[in-house]
Amino acid sequence: MRSHPTDDLAGFALGALEAEEAVTIGAHVASCPTCRAEVRVLSETAWTIAESAARDTPPNMRAAILERARSESRDARRSSPFGAIAVLFSRTVPVAVPLALAVALAVTAAGYAIAQRDAQSYAAALAGVAGGRVVALAPTGEISGVRGSLVVPESGDAYLILELPAPPAGKTWEAWVIRGQTPVAAGITDARGVTTLVLRAAPGAGDTVALTAEPSRGVDQPTGKVVLAGRL
Amino acid sequence: MTSLTTSGVGTADTMNEDRRCLTRIAGGDPDALGDLYDRYGRVVFGLLYRMLGSPEAAEEVTQDAFHSVWRRARTYHAERGSVRAWLLAIARNAAIDWRRTKGKRLEREAAIDEAVTLADEIRVEDRVITALGAERVRAAVATLPPEQREALSLAFWSGLTQTEIAARTAAPLGTVKSRLRLGMAKLRERLVGMGTA
Repeated sequence: MRSHPTDDLAGFALGALEAEEAVTIGAHVASCPTCRAEVRVLSETAWTIAESAARDTPPNMRAAILERARSESRDARRSSPFGAIAVLFSRTVPVAVPLALAVALAVTAAGYAIAQRDAQSYAAALAGVAGGRVVALAPTGEISGVRGSLVVPESGDAYLILELPAPPAGKTWEAWVIRGQTPVAAGITDARGVTTLVLRAAPGAGDTVALTAEPSRGVDQPTGKVVLAGRL
Repeated sequence: MTSLTTSGVGTADTMNEDRRCLTRIAGGDPDALGDLYDRYGRVVFGLLYRMLGSPEAAEEVTQDAFHSVWRRARTYHAERGSVRAWLLAIARNAAIDWRRTKGKRLEREAAIDEAVTLADEIRVEDRVITALGAERVRAAVATLPPEQREALSLAFWSGLTQTEIAARTAAPLGTVKSRLRLGMAKLRERLVGMGTA
């Protein structure tokens, strides 16, 4: 197991690491209960500093924030026909084929790192994993420049280490845990570049983990094409 | 866990309420976003005002930060920290992004210059959420060695990375890391000692 990155935890909690460092340390923190506890304490101290600057807000800001949210909700409802969504992972559509291929393509962390040795930050993030199982996710070819690995740590929640382009306009990247034919929403990210995404749904043996581009804020059922997939 | 706080918002009950609130937001309830704003809007706005040095910029970025909460509520994971720590990270990242994309260099420099005087200038006119709490934070910060105070200020208020702080203060990177680590540890210790825990 990798030693604890004690000197970088304060910088991590303060958001003062370079982007690549933040991903590497974040991957370790996500898989290390000791460092996670330390970061939580540091983050609470940071909040206390922030509180010291609190001040009254402009009068119309609350209404503006809520209106923006309500407006986006209305747009999302108009653009999310659930009937068209459910078929994506059903047996009757071709997209199930790439998922099957993904199962065959799943490889170990070591093999994946060798294949992707040019991506230093990505590899560094994988190297930061403190124990646990790593499964590469296979690109389906829908878009270029995307790759990812599923990390199932010895303790704590499973997460993805991803290298992503910016999501299409008005979209967000959304992860899915697929049990049998049933996709469960597992988290979203708007990040581009190398990032981590903790899965809100725990993948079990035989489950498939996939990534799609979805309307902003994410959706309950997938509507977009699968860009990454792998099976535990 | 009862956390460090100056306004009593860190109790386990409040943390659970925050999480329930975020669950409602993730479910698409705009009123829940309003509830979260009522709890933490003043802190977020004050933080961003301080970081960006302009009420207009602070208002814009506060709106963006809460919109990010609206869009990303599903990505929050309770095991990784409190809702307010997550919110703080979102707000600070939004400020740093704003500076990099829209902020003028002069504004950035002004913010940095102001930040290094953290211990000396917290303006009374800002009507801090609890004057006593803010005073305690200021007093605690003031007891830190100057180089730790400067490193913390540059990281927290100016949003500089460790590498940028090292360049700005002409200190080795390892020294900057140590200053941040020790500064945060001492700050917590002193806040606890002042009874803000």
